[in-house]
Amino acid sequence: MKNKIKKLATFFRESGKETYASMAFMGVGQILNGQFGKGMLYMLTEIAFMLYFGFTGITDIIGFFTLGTNKADAWAGIVGDNSVIMLLRGIFAWIALAGLIWMYISNIKDAHFYAEEKHNNKMLPSLKNDISSILDKNFYKAALFLPLLGVAVFNILPIIFMILIAFTNYGGKIVPPELVDWTFDSFKKLVVLGELSQSFVKILGWNLLWAFASTLFNYFAGLGLALLYNKKCVKGKAIWRAFPILAYAIPGFITLLAFKYMFSNGGPINNIIVDNGGQIIDFLGINSKWMARGIGFFINAWLSVPSIMLLATGVLSNINNDLYEAADIDGASSFLQFRKITLPFVIFSTTPVLISQFIGNFNNFGVFFFLRSDVLSDGYFLASDTDLLINWLYRMSIDNNYYAIGAAISLVIFAITSIVSLSVYVRSAAYKKEDTFR
Amino acid sequence: MKKPGMHAKEIADKFLTYSILIIVSLIFVFPCFWLVISCFSKSGDMYSFNGFFPSEYSLDSFKLLFTDTVMYNYISWFTNTLFVAVVSSLLGTVLVILTAYTISTFEFRGRKALMKGALVLGMFPSFMGMTAVYLLMTQFGFINSHLGLALIYAGGAPMGYLVQKGFFDTIPKSIYEAASIDGASNFKIFRSITLPLSKPMLVYTLLTQFAWPWSDYILPKLLLKDKSLWTVAVGLMSLPETEFARFSAGSVFIAVPIVILYFCLSKYLVNGMSAGAVKQ
Repeated sequence: MKNKIKKLATFFRESGKETYASMAFMGVGQILNGQFGKGMLYMLTEIAFMLYFGFTGITDIIGFFTLGTNKADAWAGIVGDNSVIMLLRGIFAWIALAGLIWMYISNIKDAHFYAEEKHNNKMLPSLKNDISSILDKNFYKAALFLPLLGVAVFNILPIIFMILIAFTNYGGKIVPPELVDWTFDSFKKLVVLGELSQSFVKILGWNLLWAFASTLFNYFAGLGLALLYNKKCVKGKAIWRAFPILAYAIPGFITLLAFKYMFSNGGPINNIIVDNGGQIIDFLGINSKWMARGIGFFINAWLSVPSIMLLATGVLSNINNDLYEAADIDGASSFLQFRKITLPFVIFSTTPVLISQFIGNFNNFGVFFFLRSDVLSDGYFLASDTDLLINWLYRMSIDNNYYAIGAAISLVIFAITSIVSLSVYVRSAAYKKEDTFR
Repeated sequence: MKKPGMHAKEIADKFLTYSILIIVSLIFVFPCFWLVISCFSKSGDMYSFNGFFPSEYSLDSFKLLFTDTVMYNYISWFTNTLFVAVVSSLLGTVLVILTAYTISTFEFRGRKALMKGALVLGMFPSFMGMTAVYLLMTQFGFINSHLGLALIYAGGAPMGYLVQKGFFDTIPKSIYEAASIDGASNFKIFRSITLPLSKPMLVYTLLTQFAWPWSDYILPKLLLKDKSLWTVAVGLMSLPETEFARFSAGSVFIAVPIVILYFCLSKYLVNGMSAGAVKQ
C-alpha cells in the first residue's frame, strides 16, 4: 500500500504537461504528443460519455437509489416512474461510469508513457500502427470483445439485476406501476418463522437429500456399468454400450414427458393394473409424496447414469496396462487388482465430475417440473412436496411473480453450490496443474 | 495352472454378467421402444392403448403431424426451431471458438480472473436471471422474436468454452512460435494455422450448439408467447394425452437426427463431460 502511494507520488512529480493535459480532458495529451488520431478518438469518447451522462446517465444513477418517486395516477394523467426499468437503467449507468473511469485512467497512462518515449527520442506509433496491433500483439483483446459483450449482456447483467432484486420488495402486488423500494424483507421472510420459511426449510432439506442421494447412486451405478462393459468376457462392447448412449442422446424433455405419460392415470402401467382387476394407482398425484419422489429418483438415474458411464469408460481406457501386468506377476487376484488399481484411479480422476454432478442434481429442474408441475401440496407455499429449490424458484418468480423472494432463493442456491464446489475445485489437481501438460 | 473348479466359476460369472447386461439394456431401450411404437398407433389417443401397445397400427400420426396443422402446427414449430438453431449455432460457435482459443493461447493480465469469473457465473442457477432476461428482451423489443432467442443462446455460449479450450491446449505451442518468428501476426496465425487444425472441434461445436435449441424448453416458453412462434419443445409440451401418438411421432422425428448426431460425436462427448457439462 505504501509502495503504491509512493509510486503515485513519483508519477505525479515526474509527469510532464502532456499527462496533466490528458487529466484535464481525455485525448489532449495524446495530441500534444503528436498522436493526433488517437487523441481525437479519446476526445470523442469523452464527449460521448459526457452527452450520455448529461442527458440520462446522472438521472439514471439517482433513479437507481430512489427507484422512482412519481407514482402513476391514471386519473390525474401522471405517467409515473417504472421502478424496474429505472433499476435496469441504473445498473447500466453504473457500468458506463466504470467504463468511463477505466478509459480515463488508461488515457492518462497512455499520455504519460508516450510522453516519456518522445523525450527519449523514440518513434511513436501512428493510429494505423495501433489498429494493426489489434491483429497481432493485442489480438486477444479483439478476440475477446464480442464474447465478453455477449456474456455481459445475457449473463452478467441479468444476474446483477436479480441479485439487486433480492434486496427489494419487487413482486406480488408490488409490480409497476406500483413503486418498488429497497428492503431486506425477502431474506427475513425466508428465515423468520412463517409459512414461507417452513416451506423453505422443508424444501431445502429434501433438496439436499435428493442431491446427495442421486449423485452417489448415479455415480456408482455409472461406474459399475462402465466396469461391466469393460469386462474381458463381454463380447460386442460397442453394441451393449449403445443402449445407454441412446438414452443419453434423446433430448431430456422428450424422455421426461414420455415417463410422465407412462405413469399417468390413463397411462400404460395403470392400464395394465386395471386390466388385471386392480385399482388405479395415482403415481404422481397429490397424495403420493414418497412414491413420486422415488419415481423421480429413478427417472433421473435413467437420464444421468449413461453420461457417467461414458465418462468412466474414457477414464478406464487411460489406465496404464503395465500396472495390471505387474500385479498379475505378483499373483494379485482380479478382485484385489480392482480394489487397489482400478477403483482409486477412477475415483481420483472423476472427482471434478462428482462436483458438477452434485451441482447438476441440486439444480435439477426438469424431473419434477415435468412430473408434477400441476401439483401444489398442503403445508407448502406455492410448491409441491417433491419440488426442489429451483422448481420453487420457478413457481415463485415465473408463475406467481414473487420476484424478490425468487431472487433471494436463487442467492441461497448460489451460496450452497458455490461454497461446495469452489472449495473442492480450487484444491483439485486439475486446477493447480492446469498447464502441466503443455 | 488353473484349478478344476475355475471353469464352472467362469461360466457362472459369464452368465451373471450377461444377464445384467440384458436387463440394463432392456431398462434403457424399453421407454424408447415404447415411444417409437406409439407413433404407429391408429387412434392416437393414449386411452385406447392396450397396455404399452397400440391397439391398431398405422402411419396416420405422421401424416397428421404434417397435414393437420390447424390446432398443432408442427411444421411451423419445426421451421422456427430450425431458424433459431442455425443462427445460434453459427454465432455461438464463433464466440466459443474465439474465447477458447484466446484463453488457451495467450498469457494476458486477468486471464485467471476471467476463468474464475466464468466458473462463479456458472454456479448461479441457470434461470436465475430469466426474469431479468425477459425484461431486457422487452426493452430491446425482442419478445416473440426468434432472433432474440438465438442471441441469448449465442451470447451465453462462451460460458461453455472449456471443451474447446481443452482441444486448443493440445496444439503444441512450438507451431505458433515458429510462425511468429517467420513474421506472422497473431490474427494470421489464428486464421491460417489454428482454424485449419481445429476443424473437428469446429464441427463438434457447430453441432452441439445446433442441437441445444431443439431440447431447450424453458427460454422459448418464457419468450415466445404466440402459439405460431413456438419451438418444437414448447409445442410438444402443450399436447394433451389424447394426442399421444402425435407427441411420440413429433418427438421421434426430431430425436432420431439428434441421436445419430450423438453417436457420431460420442468420442468428443466424453471430453466435454469431463470438462464439467451436466445434462439437465
